[in-house]
Amino acid sequence: MNQTLFQLCVVVGGAWLTAGAALLYFTHVRLERPAIGHFNGRDVLVVFVFLVTLPALYVILPEAVLTAFLILTFVSALTIGYRPLLSSTPRWLIIGALLGANIAVTRVGLGTVRGWQIYWTLTSIVVLLAVVAVANLYVQGGMQLRHVAWFALALAVYDPLFSIVIPLSIELADRFAGFALDPSIGMRLGALNANIGMGDLLVYSLFTIAAYKAYGPRTLPAVALAITVFGCVIPSIAPELLGSLHRGNIGFVVPAQTFFGPVAFLLYLWWRRRGVEAPMSEWLNRATPAETLPASSKTAELVQAVLP
Amino acid sequence: MFETGVRQLSMARSLIMGSRFNVRAVEALVGDALATLREFGAPGDDVQQLLDGPFADPEIRRNLQDRSLRRTVRRAAALTPYYRALVRQAGLDPNRVGVDTIARLPLTSKDDLRERGREFLADGSTPFMTTRTTGTSGAPVQVWMSQYEARLWPALAALAGVLRGEIGPTDVLQVNISSRATAAIHHDSAVCRLTGARLCLLGLIPPGESLKALRDNGATLLSTYPSYLAELIEVAERTGAAPTTLRRIDCGGEVLSPALAERAQAVLGAPVVDTFAMTEVLPVSARRCRAGHLHHDLNSGYVEVVALDADTPAPAGEPGRVVITPYYPLRECMPVLRYDTGDVVRALPDSEIDCELAGMPATTGILGRSSEIRAAAGHGLTPRIVIEALDTLSGPARAPRFVIQHQDTEAIVIVDAGALRGQAASALAELLHRSGARARVEVLAATADPSALRAVRADLRETTFTHIPAGSSLRAHSIP
Repeated sequence: MNQTLFQLCVVVGGAWLTAGAALLYFTHVRLERPAIGHFNGRDVLVVFVFLVTLPALYVILPEAVLTAFLILTFVSALTIGYRPLLSSTPRWLIIGALLGANIAVTRVGLGTVRGWQIYWTLTSIVVLLAVVAVANLYVQGGMQLRHVAWFALALAVYDPLFSIVIPLSIELADRFAGFALDPSIGMRLGALNANIGMGDLLVYSLFTIAAYKAYGPRTLPAVALAITVFGCVIPSIAPELLGSLHRGNIGFVVPAQTFFGPVAFLLYLWWRRRGVEAPMSEWLNRATPAETLPASSKTAELVQAVLP
Repeated sequence: MFETGVRQLSMARSLIMGSRFNVRAVEALVGDALATLREFGAPGDDVQQLLDGPFADPEIRRNLQDRSLRRTVRRAAALTPYYRALVRQAGLDPNRVGVDTIARLPLTSKDDLRERGREFLADGSTPFMTTRTTGTSGAPVQVWMSQYEARLWPALAALAGVLRGEIGPTDVLQVNISSRATAAIHHDSAVCRLTGARLCLLGLIPPGESLKALRDNGATLLSTYPSYLAELIEVAERTGAAPTTLRRIDCGGEVLSPALAERAQAVLGAPVVDTFAMTEVLPVSARRCRAGHLHHDLNSGYVEVVALDADTPAPAGEPGRVVITPYYPLRECMPVLRYDTGDVVRALPDSEIDCELAGMPATTGILGRSSEIRAAAGHGLTPRIVIEALDTLSGPARAPRFVIQHQDTEAIVIVDAGALRGQAASALAELLHRSGARARVEVLAATADPSALRAVRADLRETTFTHIPAGSSLRAHSIP
C-alpha cells in the first residue's frame, strides 16, 4: 500500500510538472522550424515505429553503447529545445553539467538512499527538460491533436502487449534501474522507489499542449482530469489488481497508456464535434502580439519584403 | 516533416553536387510547402536560403559557379555535336572550366541556334516538346525540352512561387500570351496544377473579352505582355470594365515603361511585376527588386555581362550584353553555353546594390536589344526611350506603334498618329531631346502601310468568332 501511495505521488507530481512545464514553454517560447515541413500522420508512424523498436535495442545494447545512445538523445533534445532560451556557451555548459553529474552519481553515489535521491533528482531534471523540448518540437512543428490521439490509441495496444504478453517493458525497467540517464522521472524514499517513464510523460505533455493549441484553454480541465485519473491514479492502483506487474520495492511496470490512450482518443472525438482544430497559424495569431513576433514570423515578413 | 527533410536534402544534393533532380520529390515539396502554409501561415526559417541558395557569400558562390560550369560544359562537350566541335576548337579542357576560363568559349548566337538547332540536341536525350520564340526580333528559334525538363522547371517555379506567396490554391491565373509560347503556357498550366490554383488560358484574344473573363472568373493573377496590357488598360478605361480581384500582373517579353506600370495599378488595381525569361535560356529567369534592379537566378545559370562589341566583360556601369549559360542538371535536352541573349543591361557594382536582394549580383533593367543600342550609337535613341516618352506624353494606354530610322547623327521616329493620342509630334521630340537623344519625329501618313511600324506582341492577335460581326459570311459559313 505504501508503495502504491508513493508511486501515486511520484507519478502525479511528475506528470503534472512535465505537462505544466510543456504548456508554459508552449505559451512563451517559439522554436525555430525548417522552411518547409510540418508534422503529419506519416511522421506519427515513424515516431511510433521508433518507439516500438527502441526498447528492444535498449535491452540488447551493451552498457557503453546504450549510455552513448542516451547521451546523444538527450543532448539533441536539450540543444534544440533550449536554443531560443540560452546562447550556445551557457547551453552547452548546463547540458554538459547535468549529464555529467548524472553519470558521475550513477557510478559512485548509489550506495545510499541520499545517493539515490540525488540520482533521481538529476535524472528527473534532465528527463523533464527533454520531454518539454520534444513535445514542443512536435506540436510547434505542426503535430495536431488528431495525431496525438491516434498515437495514444496505438500505444494503448502496444503497452499491454509489451508489458504483459511480451515482458519487454519489465525487462527494460530492470535494465534501467540505477542506470545513467534512466529515461524516467522518479524518487526514492527509504526502501520505496517509484518512477514514471519518459514515453508516458511525452504522451501527456503532447496531449496537453496539442489540445490547448487546437481548442484553447477550455480543454485544460478535462486534460488534467484525464492525465490524473487515467494516466496516473488507475495505473498506480492497477498493480494491486495485477500482481504480475509488481516488482517489489523498485516499483511497478504499468501499461499506463492502456487506460489513458482510449480516453485521450474519446476526448479528441468529443472536441472535434465542436469544430476543426486550429492550426498553428491561428494559435500564433491569437497568442502573439505583433510587436513581439517570433523568428518564424520574421521570416514571413522577409518573404513579404521580397515579393513584388 | 521527416519525408520533407529527405526531399529537401535530395534537392540540395542536386543543386550542389549536380546530380539529376528527383522530379517527383520536387513536385511533392510543392505539396509540402502548401501544407506548411496551411498549418503555419508562413514558411519557416531559412526560406530565403532555400529559394536563393547560399549565394550571398561570394566565396561559396564562386565555388558553386565553378563546379556548375565545369559540369555543364563537360556534358555539353561530350553529348552535343555543336559544342563538341566548339570546345575542341577553343582548346578548352572541359575538366578545368570555371568562371576564369569560360570566356575562352565563343558566344552562341541566336543565328547559331536557328541554323544548327539539331546539333544542339544532346545525344541520348528524349525531346518531348518544342517551344518557339515569337519571332518579334527575327525568324523564330526552336528549342526542344525533355519530359524531365518539362516537369522540373514548373515544379521549381511552383515551389518558389508558393514560398514567396506569389501563387496558391486560392488564386486564379489568367494567361494572355501568344498560344505559340508553348513553354510558357505549359509552364503556367503545370504550376497551377501543382499549386492548386485555377487557370484561364485565353491567348491574345480581343481585350474586351479578356477583361470580361478577368471579372467573371475572379482572376487574381494576370500574365501578359506590356503591349497587350496597354490595350487592356485602354478598353478598361473606355468601358469602365476593370476587374476587382487582381492582386498581381506579371509582364514580360517587351519593354515595360514605369508609366504603363503605374497606369495598370491605377486602372486594374494590381501592381505590375516586370519579369525576365527567355525561351532560349530556360529555365534561367530574373526578378526585379523594389529598386528596379534585375537579379538573375544564380541557382539555374551563369550570367555574364559582355561588352557590346567584344567578347570581354563589360565594365561596371557600362552597357553590355547579357550572356547566359543554363546549368545541367536543370537544362539537359538542348543545352546552350554562353548564349548571347542580345539584351543589353548595365552591370551594377556590388557596392551599389542595397536593395532587399543585396548579396545577389544585379544589373539594371534591360535597356534594349544590342542591335538597337548599336544602331543608336550616333544619336542615343533606343526603343525604350521612345516607349517611355510616348507613355509619359500621352498616357500608356494602347501599345505605341512606331519605328526608328537611324541616320548618322540623328534618328527619325515615325509614329502612328494614334500613339500620340492628340499630342503634337513636337512635344514628343522635345521629350526625346530631354532624354539626351538627337531625334526628330514624323507622323505616319494616313495612307502609309502600318506594317512598316515596329511589331509588338499584342499584334499576335488571336481573333475569336465572337469578335466577328454578326451576319458576316465567315460566321454564317464557318460554324457548323
